[in-house]
Amino acid sequence: MGKVTTSSTPPFSQEASNFDEVYMQQSLLFDDSLKDLKNLRTQLYSAAEYFELSYTNDDQKQIVVETLKDYAIKALVNTVDHLGSVTYKVNDLLDEKVVEVSGAELRVSCIEQRMRSYQGFADHGGRSQQSLVISTPKYHKRYILPVGETMVGANLTKSKYVGCSLDDEEEWPHFRNAVRATIRETPTSTTTSKGRSPSPSVQPQRPGPFSFTSTMPKKDLDKRSVSPYRFPLLRTGSRSSRPTTPNLSRSTTPKPSRPITPNPSNTKQRYPSEPRKSASMRLSAERDNGKDVEQFPSKSKRLLKALLSRRKSKKDDTLYTYLDEY
Amino acid sequence: MARAGGITNAVNVGIAVQADWENREFISHISLNVRRLFDFLVQFEATTKSKLASLNEKLDVLERRLELLEVQVGNASANPSLFAT
Repeated sequence: MGKVTTSSTPPFSQEASNFDEVYMQQSLLFDDSLKDLKNLRTQLYSAAEYFELSYTNDDQKQIVVETLKDYAIKALVNTVDHLGSVTYKVNDLLDEKVVEVSGAELRVSCIEQRMRSYQGFADHGGRSQQSLVISTPKYHKRYILPVGETMVGANLTKSKYVGCSLDDEEEWPHFRNAVRATIRETPTSTTTSKGRSPSPSVQPQRPGPFSFTSTMPKKDLDKRSVSPYRFPLLRTGSRSSRPTTPNLSRSTTPKPSRPITPNPSNTKQRYPSEPRKSASMRLSAERDNGKDVEQFPSKSKRLLKALLSRRKSKKDDTLYTYLDEY
Repeated sequence: MARAGGITNAVNVGIAVQADWENREFISHISLNVRRLFDFLVQFEATTKSKLASLNEKLDVLERRLELLEVQVGNASANPSLFAT
């Protein structure tokens, strides 16, 4: 008589001491369950053939039917038991794998974060190295273009004075001190050039400390607060002798018809947005005038003395000498 | 006598019919449980396939990320001066 023969798993007499042994035992149980499920089909087919023959050949058909019923119930229960065990183990195994994959994702995320931090450090280091390598050009204040002027060839428009804001009255003492220091450091060397007539509107250089309050009236300072040429910085000694006040030039010059320095009353005020001459052209012209102004008073005095003290009998050698110097 | 034999045959037929109905009920129970077992197996297959698919997708993504990390680590190890302080 056929019975559902399922492989009976022996009870574990000795428990696993560690995780590997438990894992191996569970794996063996799972394999046995899968083998039983595979053998269940053949067993059911063989049992069906046996009961068919017994029912046709045996006289006690009722007993055969009852035995078949018992076998079918046991086979069904055993199948459900095996399938439940196998599915539970499969689900457990899948969950373990999902947990392992999640742990691996976490580890990979940690590695990616560390790689990003390393890349950030590397980028920061490279950026700092490149920033040390690049040398930004530093221009003197006199080369900084005013508002609205464009750089020739670069088409760059400066919106503000960089580092030189004369509108702020709090910075005036700093500019005064800077200009004074520049004037003191600059040697007051005067050079003469022959063949150039002195400009009548220039004044001689005044020795002593330079002071804006003394040379310019307060009213002019207030009116010309936007002019970038109010405190011209000095480049050389010849430029340092440029006249700044119209009053002094008017008092010393014989023909004060054309004052150089801008006067709000009789000269056109220069705005920062107006187009200007180039610095080299303007400075060369003023440099010549400044040289003439430096030489004119002393030489005129000497010329007058020579004219007054000379005798008619003598020949005007000294006079011609002085005239030649002009 | 014939009447008694007819009643006995009727009783036997009734017993046979009842037994047949019991057998049919048993078979229906067995078939119902087998169908339930089949439905459970189909559902289990679906859930297991879904879990395996999600697991396969996660493993693919993880594999790509690991390949990317491998390339990045290879580049970093090829240029150790980048990490030199």
